[in-house]
Amino acid sequence: MDRPELTIGAEGIDTERLVRSIRESVEEKLKSGFYNDPAVARAERANIAHITSDEEFLTLFLENLRDSAFVDINDFEITERRKTLAGLLVTFKKLVWKTLKFYTYRLWSQQNQVNGIMLAAMEGMHSSFRQRVSELEKRISELEKKNGTQ
Amino acid sequence: MSRMRLAFIAPRLPSGDAVGGAETLIKHHAHLAGELGHDVTLLTTCATDHYSWTNVIEPGRRTVQGLEVEMFPVDEKRDLETFLTIQESIMKGRQVSPEEEQAWLDNGINSSAMIEHITSGAGGYDLVMAGPYLFGITVAALRAVPEKAVLIPCLHDEPFATLEVFRNLLRNVRGIMFNTSPERDFASSLTRGKLPANEVVGFSVPEAAADVEHFRKTRPVRTPYVIYSGRREPMKGTPLLLDYLRTFRKRNEIDISLVLTGKGEVQLEDGDSEWVYDAGFLSEEDKLSAMAGSLAFCHPSTFESLGIVLLESWMAGTPCLVHAGSAVLTDQCRKSNGGLWFRCYPDFEEELLTLISSPVLQATLAKNGYDFVRKEYSREAAKKRLGGILDRLALG
Repeated sequence: MDRPELTIGAEGIDTERLVRSIRESVEEKLKSGFYNDPAVARAERANIAHITSDEEFLTLFLENLRDSAFVDINDFEITERRKTLAGLLVTFKKLVWKTLKFYTYRLWSQQNQVNGIMLAAMEGMHSSFRQRVSELEKRISELEKKNGTQ
Repeated sequence: MSRMRLAFIAPRLPSGDAVGGAETLIKHHAHLAGELGHDVTLLTTCATDHYSWTNVIEPGRRTVQGLEVEMFPVDEKRDLETFLTIQESIMKGRQVSPEEEQAWLDNGINSSAMIEHITSGAGGYDLVMAGPYLFGITVAALRAVPEKAVLIPCLHDEPFATLEVFRNLLRNVRGIMFNTSPERDFASSLTRGKLPANEVVGFSVPEAAADVEHFRKTRPVRTPYVIYSGRREPMKGTPLLLDYLRTFRKRNEIDISLVLTGKGEVQLEDGDSEWVYDAGFLSEEDKLSAMAGSLAFCHPSTFESLGIVLLESWMAGTPCLVHAGSAVLTDQCRKSNGGLWFRCYPDFEEELLTLISSPVLQATLAKNGYDFVRKEYSREAAKKRLGGILDRLALG
């Protein structure tokens, strides 16, 4: 088999250091909004239990959720790639979309309302708990200093 | 070292595709103990399927791969509704009473015939070693002979582990064989440091020369690919891996594939079949070849007491990417310098891009892992560790 030629402990290969440097890079990119992408939020759906214990990623997740919480019910450009009967097909598609929109508008608008309320509630809870935890941490630190346990 | 009569208990006999990590590990320990000169019998059930637990093999004694094996039927009378109701409560983190814990174990996997065999003294065993921890059969067997009881817990941080019945078991057996140091640390945290005689025995991986090209040439796989081997189910993190790779491909426009080996259903979405290749259950040779040909082995599970597949992957010359939520897998990568660990998608993306762009890094991680496995997980090293704890237990 092809065995790698490099020796153990080769210069620059310390996984602890490498992971730390990758995380620093990720944190920079997070700040720049590089991961503000609904696809990232979706990718984390099976990882919620783990990222909720990490303050920074919970914030990222909520930001992504904000970007993707609302279903787009606006009109969009309807086109047809086939040349034959293109005009007729576009008209037909527009008719189908108008009909669908008419019958599903109430459903989508209610869903958007629910999504919006839930997102606001989650953000409110997140913010309020973060503030409470921060206050409690401050109090514990003061008490520890007072008792000389720190 | 005095020769002892040892019984190892595994819920199923690992053979063919009826393989669980814990059962494989227990069979491995039984073989090693035999090589150390002890008189070993593997006690197991007649079931092969870990969902139905139907008795499909004739009970009785036989020799399997050089090991004396005695098989007992699983108790068929169990209240599955009670079992599942309590199990759901435990999994959701609800408080359950000691009576409910016991009812859950009683209605789980048990074998009265095996317990009768152990308590009757028919086998004349000096020590009875059983695992993994969360089976009724394990708890009942070890409770039946506490002065001879040795637990092979295969423990990891999950709601079941925090039950009082298991904390008591960890405290009250005669000895414990752990798979990794993080597993021992976790057990120690559950018992507030009150553990009996114990040792991190680990595992051994045979030397193997993996053929890098064989799998790639004989299967319709596109390179580069990452690989996952083992049971495919939510608890093992396979849906997470699919989500991550789907997103990675879309965001980075890199045509990377995923090869899956092992058993279990995979929920694919439209378009996934273009880049996901399900190789199913493979022979050891083919599995190693598939690992050897991959960019990295990815283990997205957070519920592991030892990543045997990580060891195999390093033996095949492939680095690993693991979920940082598993203290055990992260520890293996950290100690070996043979893999990286991710907390979330952004970490995963950055690490995979780093591996793709740096063949030198990929090769170095692989080499580090390979050296680590040869040193720490050789048969001799594992035998020494197992022999050590058995000697200590023999001395009482």
